[in-house]
Amino acid sequence: MFKQIAALTKLNLRSIPQRWGMSLATVFSVALVVLVLMAFLAMANGFKATLSGSGSTDVAVMLRKGAQAELNSGISLAQLRLIREAPGIARNADGNTIVSGELYVIVDGLKRTTLTDVNLPLRGVEPDALVLRQGLKIVEGHMFGSGSNELIVGQAILREFAGFDLGSEVRLGTATWKVVGVFSTGGTVFESEIWADAGSIQSLYQRGSGYQSVRAKLDGADGLKALQDWAENEPTLNLDIITEKEFFSGQASGITNIILYMGWPLAIVMAFGALAGAWNTMYASVEARTREIATLRAIGFAGFAAFVSTLVEALLLAFVGGLVGSVLAWLIFNGISASTLGGNFTQVVFAFEVTGEAVQSGIVMALIIGLLGGIIPSIRAARVPLLSVHGG
Amino acid sequence: MSKTEPLYVLRGLSKQYSRGKETIPIFDGLDMEIANGEFMAIMGPSGSGKTTLLNQLGGIDAPTTGEVIFDGRRIDNLGQGALAKWRSENVGFIFQFYNLMPTLTAAQNVELPLLLSPVKGAERKKRVATALDIVGIGDRAKHYPRQLSGGQQQRVAIARAIVADPKVLLCDEPTGDLDRTSADEVLEMLQLLNTKMGKTIIMVTHDPAAAKYAKTELFLDKGKFIKKGSKK
Amino acid sequence: MNDFTLVLKNLFRKKLRAILLLFSILSAFLIFGALGSFYKVFTAGVEVAAADRLITVNKINFTVSLPLAYVNRVRSIEGVRNASHASWFGGYYQDPRKQVQTFAIEADTYLAAYSELVMPDEQRKAFMETRDCLLTGIDLVDQYGWKLGDSVPINSNIWQKKDGSSVWEFTICAIFDGDKETVPANYLMFHYDYFNENLAFARDKAGWIILNSEDPAMNDDISKQIDTLFANSQAETKTSTESAFNKAFLQQMGNIGLILSSVIGAAFATILMIVGTTMVMAVSERTKEIAVMKTLGFRTGRIFRLVLSESLLLALLGGLIGLGIAWALVDLAIGPALSGFLPGMRLTADIALLAIVLMLALGLITGILPALKAMNVAIVDALGKN
Ligand SMILES: Nc1ncnc2c1ncn2[C@@H]1O[C@H](COP(=O)(O)OP(=O)(O)OP(=O)(O)O)[C@@H](O)[C@H]1O
Ligand SMILES: [Mg+2]
Repeated sequence: MFKQIAALTKLNLRSIPQRWGMSLATVFSVALVVLVLMAFLAMANGFKATLSGSGSTDVAVMLRKGAQAELNSGISLAQLRLIREAPGIARNADGNTIVSGELYVIVDGLKRTTLTDVNLPLRGVEPDALVLRQGLKIVEGHMFGSGSNELIVGQAILREFAGFDLGSEVRLGTATWKVVGVFSTGGTVFESEIWADAGSIQSLYQRGSGYQSVRAKLDGADGLKALQDWAENEPTLNLDIITEKEFFSGQASGITNIILYMGWPLAIVMAFGALAGAWNTMYASVEARTREIATLRAIGFAGFAAFVSTLVEALLLAFVGGLVGSVLAWLIFNGISASTLGGNFTQVVFAFEVTGEAVQSGIVMALIIGLLGGIIPSIRAARVPLLSVHGG
Repeated sequence: MSKTEPLYVLRGLSKQYSRGKETIPIFDGLDMEIANGEFMAIMGPSGSGKTTLLNQLGGIDAPTTGEVIFDGRRIDNLGQGALAKWRSENVGFIFQFYNLMPTLTAAQNVELPLLLSPVKGAERKKRVATALDIVGIGDRAKHYPRQLSGGQQQRVAIARAIVADPKVLLCDEPTGDLDRTSADEVLEMLQLLNTKMGKTIIMVTHDPAAAKYAKTELFLDKGKFIKKGSKK
Repeated sequence: MNDFTLVLKNLFRKKLRAILLLFSILSAFLIFGALGSFYKVFTAGVEVAAADRLITVNKINFTVSLPLAYVNRVRSIEGVRNASHASWFGGYYQDPRKQVQTFAIEADTYLAAYSELVMPDEQRKAFMETRDCLLTGIDLVDQYGWKLGDSVPINSNIWQKKDGSSVWEFTICAIFDGDKETVPANYLMFHYDYFNENLAFARDKAGWIILNSEDPAMNDDISKQIDTLFANSQAETKTSTESAFNKAFLQQMGNIGLILSSVIGAAFATILMIVGTTMVMAVSERTKEIAVMKTLGFRTGRIFRLVLSESLLLALLGGLIGLGIAWALVDLAIGPALSGFLPGMRLTADIALLAIVLMLALGLITGILPALKAMNVAIVDALGKN
């Protein structure tokens, strides 16, 4: 039986060029469906990867209870002082806890592709911030001076937005600020930020001595628990404390879901359209080969072999379509930089990511189209009346 | 009639087609025997049921009632799979329009039925070559059907029909699409297969000249054999 | 029997094929209808923006507040008919992850600025007179099962009261709706005074200023005047029309328009290929018949029209069914489900019209080649070969 199937399949595939128009249409319609699906998946994956790659499990983020985002939060100097002495926080060589009180405000930037104003995050940080972001490197220029009106900007900011090039001056409020450095953090969300000295931001925004969030290096695996328990019992503290990883993955899910909730239904509706096309093509294939199939069966080939060979043709066309779609998606989308409004109400720059998993989804979808589009024509192939040998 | 066991025995064979409420009887209780080694030509007006009869003999259509016995075994009540196997072992078909696979070469077309047999490898190649030689187009083995004339295509079809060494060849107007010269060549070949290789051949034809090649000529009209002529 | 009978017979000579093609076409128009409606409502903020309405924000960014005193200074500028202000409250009800848009507003001027917000007169009066009144959008009333007179605690994830609590108590004493479906009614408003005097910190700030010009023609001029007025002060401003402001905000999300049109483009490319190749094949199957019609005396022009009508009919049939499904989906299912975020999502007449134009285009494009082919069938060739 296997021999029969192999022989008929070969026969079948060889006849594809006789129907190249419709076969090609099938391949490309499946390819387009896969392309659309992959575009959405690449977008969602890229966004998710940027955010979830950002958080570290040994850094705690502290916000005022219920604040949800750094932008909303507020933490007083007195509270920060208290936190500096808290248990569960790692200490540096000098014996001081590794803690950075930070401010998070929004400034306007100009998006290069659309030339429209966008929200960019301006973060005021303390020196320990550098230790708290692993892999942070100044790649050009130098660090801002303490208490100065100097800024350093993430690489993604330079790439996507105008107005923050190295050496340029930026007017915020009444003061003029200067961009003195560019930093990289290996593709994390911090690269979409602008940094300055916390003290300078406090005075710019008339925040007095207040902060918005506190980051601290945790002391081992039990550090978080120790810190949380301690904070619970401090009457003057009213904090949500979570790991940075958790903080960012929470932000990732909302937008990622929106992209996916949009992408999948669209791809599925398109898939139905392509399915109808595949079905049609396979019917044409069976029809064109009716006498051929009947002759083979008259010679003694089994109907089942005709069924399988037809189905294989459908699956193959769909598979090639899936492959073409995936390769196109990879060529077109992989790595392209985009930005959107993230959970913090500021732009998050991310790169589309065509992952292996997405390619797998695309191919599976293609094969399902092939299977559903091919099954009924294949049954028809198996049931070609033997009397069709006489032509007509 | 020969004294030995007949190859085919038809008993009370009836076939009717229904078109809506109407039923059209083609045969009504046909009895007939076909001897082993026979070369029979069936003639008759269009619509008389020649093709229908051939279909019953070849097991590609089943009678409404009655029995088709081949070599002592009933085939009219076999299932799809068993019938397919039976066909691959016992029958070679030759059609008016050749029915070759356009995407296969002559040799590959001839090889097709061997895929259903245990014949493998070198033996298979040899058989194909022999079959092509018998029909006299060994030199065209690598050609595709569209590169061959009608007569040549029909020879390939004959080679395909005999390659698995069936007992019987069923031919429906094998020369219907050919000019006189090609037709005569094909018919001579069939005659040769009958006399030298002992194949039983049942051939439907419109052409009285073609029928002359057969040992027996039968005339079918309205589902009945009305005249029978045997030369030998 | 007339030409239309011929067209129908030809189109449905292979029923399954016709149905599959219809299905294919349907899918593309379903996508078009749904995404078109989505885009329309997504950009509705730009469209419902009143022509005479301007927004003044802090030049650093619109999330940075302005001194409250600015409102009166804006009011005194010539050509400004009305000025009001609002502040972002960062509210949520019970679940901190589910934000409820909430604004602290200067009530009378704000409602004057947004005349499209409507409510019964006695409720408007109640709102004006009740300090802790929560003016509630009708969509939220439905969503949370609130009713007039309910006491509702709204948390702020930004603002704390003097007593350190971030729970603010309100009474629902008025419910507003938009005068059009596309006007959102999914947010809360309350008195700025109530907000300001209870604040623990950052008092006397206005989030942004809304103003109406006497004449939209003066918009540019007024914007310049305002921004010059506050130039070099500690809070510089940026003034733009409401529609420009909304548009810029939407663009922050990314190029949604490009994404949606690419998807629609891909869907149409798919059916163009499928329908196009099938129609070509369908006509070459009939070469002989067409030749016979020609021998009977059918003129080439008429044959051309017959074949073209076939694909036009196919495109229109499939397209209209797809549009119908899109309508049912958008107006009856997705629209109501999304009314919380995108109120008034509907398949509007202009989208339907555009869809019909696309159907005609699709029919013409997929039909022209087969029609030409049919027209050029040579009788001798067609009838000669077997
Ligand atoms: N599938 C079918 N359904 C209904 N009627 C059929 C069918 N096949 C054949 N017939 C009818 O059966 C009769 C015999 O047909 P058959 O094909 O056997 O004739 P034939 O003798 O081979 O004719 P020809 O010389 O034209 O090939 C004809 O009247 C034909 O119309
Ligand atoms: Mg016949």
